Amino acid sequence: MVKKTYTVNDMHCTNCVMRIEGLEDSLPGMVSVSASYRKGQMTVEFDEAQLTEAQIFAAVAKLGYTVGK
Amino acid sequence: MEPLILAFITGLTTGGLSCLAVQGGLLAGSLAQQIEQDVRNASGTPRPARGVPGTHGRPNTALPITLFLLAKLVAYTVLGALLGLLGSFLTLSPVTRAILLLAIGVFMVGNGLRMLNVHPIFRYFVIEPPRFITRYIRRTAKQGTQLFTPLFLGALTVLIPCGVTQAMMAAALGTGSPTTGAALMFAFVLGTSPVFFLVAYLATQLGARLESYFLRFVAIAVLILGLVTVESGLNLLGSPLSVANALRSLRPAAVAAPAAPVTTLHATPASADAVTDAAAAIELRVANAGYIPEVLYAPANREVALDLVTNKTTSCARDFVIPGLKFYQLLPNTGRVTVDIPPQKSGSVLRFACSMGMYTGQIVFQ
Repeated sequence: MVKKTYTVNDMHCTNCVMRIEGLEDSLPGMVSVSASYRKGQMTVEFDEAQLTEAQIFAAVAKLGYTVGK
Repeated sequence: MEPLILAFITGLTTGGLSCLAVQGGLLAGSLAQQIEQDVRNASGTPRPARGVPGTHGRPNTALPITLFLLAKLVAYTVLGALLGLLGSFLTLSPVTRAILLLAIGVFMVGNGLRMLNVHPIFRYFVIEPPRFITRYIRRTAKQGTQLFTPLFLGALTVLIPCGVTQAMMAAALGTGSPTTGAALMFAFVLGTSPVFFLVAYLATQLGARLESYFLRFVAIAVLILGLVTVESGLNLLGSPLSVANALRSLRPAAVAAPAAPVTTLHATPASADAVTDAAAAIELRVANAGYIPEVLYAPANREVALDLVTNKTTSCARDFVIPGLKFYQLLPNTGRVTVDIPPQKSGSVLRFACSMGMYTGQIVFQ
């Protein structure tokens, strides 16, 4: 299990937070997603055996946001 | 009525779009998916997924969306009443109200600047709902197939208000009345409903698209509304810094220029020494559209009786405030109320306003 924090600078409002946090329900291997609009960050906890960083980035990008390290 | 109409229009334009950005993408989308599911279940035959569920020929799709919006309307109206009630405890004096208006205004301006991405610091001007609430809403939106769900979801939107809604909630708080607060929120949410209905009905990704398209427009509208609110707060404080008061003080000479500027002065001899003890009387007409005249002239260094005359006045103009005298009274719809003004120095200015800081005027002592 890994816990990492990334910057997501293009969130516009708290709904973006909800959208990103929704990944914890839709991505297999994702344990939790905690995003903050104020900080422009998201902290994810995931199972490396099931999910890769690249897959997470792709899922976030599909929602319309850019992840930075 | 004017604030209600303004609230409705705000809802119809900026509020609708802003709400859509915050609540629409998730809730309307989820709702539409659920409706699609319902339709499939009802028909008993699985259909291929469509990009636009809820199109023609499915009369029952409008019902859940309407229920959703009705629940939202009721929830926000109740919220407006509660905020108004809370505000009634806070609104102890026009000064408190003015401070509240200023705070609301600054909040709105901050929100507008946040939407314009001026600086990340302005992100603190939005209230982030706690994570357990957003998670709960998100998961509720995915479950359930009865008509109860849209009702429940509609009511839950009260927990994720958009920026404009938050500003309107602050305004409801500022009304200091449960009835007005409820009416204000009702008008606003009613205004947001058509846009919401359309998008939920079409159930596309329009929410996200509109968000990026209209965010700027919404931001500017919120910014302007915020500045107007700050202006109202300043007016209510009788501050010379408000735009209305500053402009008025820039042109007093032009207004005072006529030989007999005291047109509203009556029963007062021009030579003050004739009846030194008698109070001068000036009359101010309190109309629905404001105060007539906006600038009154009164003799200095003697008591002045200010007659406030209302005639079927229903606007907030009748909620009359003279901040400098700490005078505040709700005038009758039709009638005459006299305010005794103690002697004022020559050249001094006494400003007055309605309790919302919308209508203003001043008395110049000379």
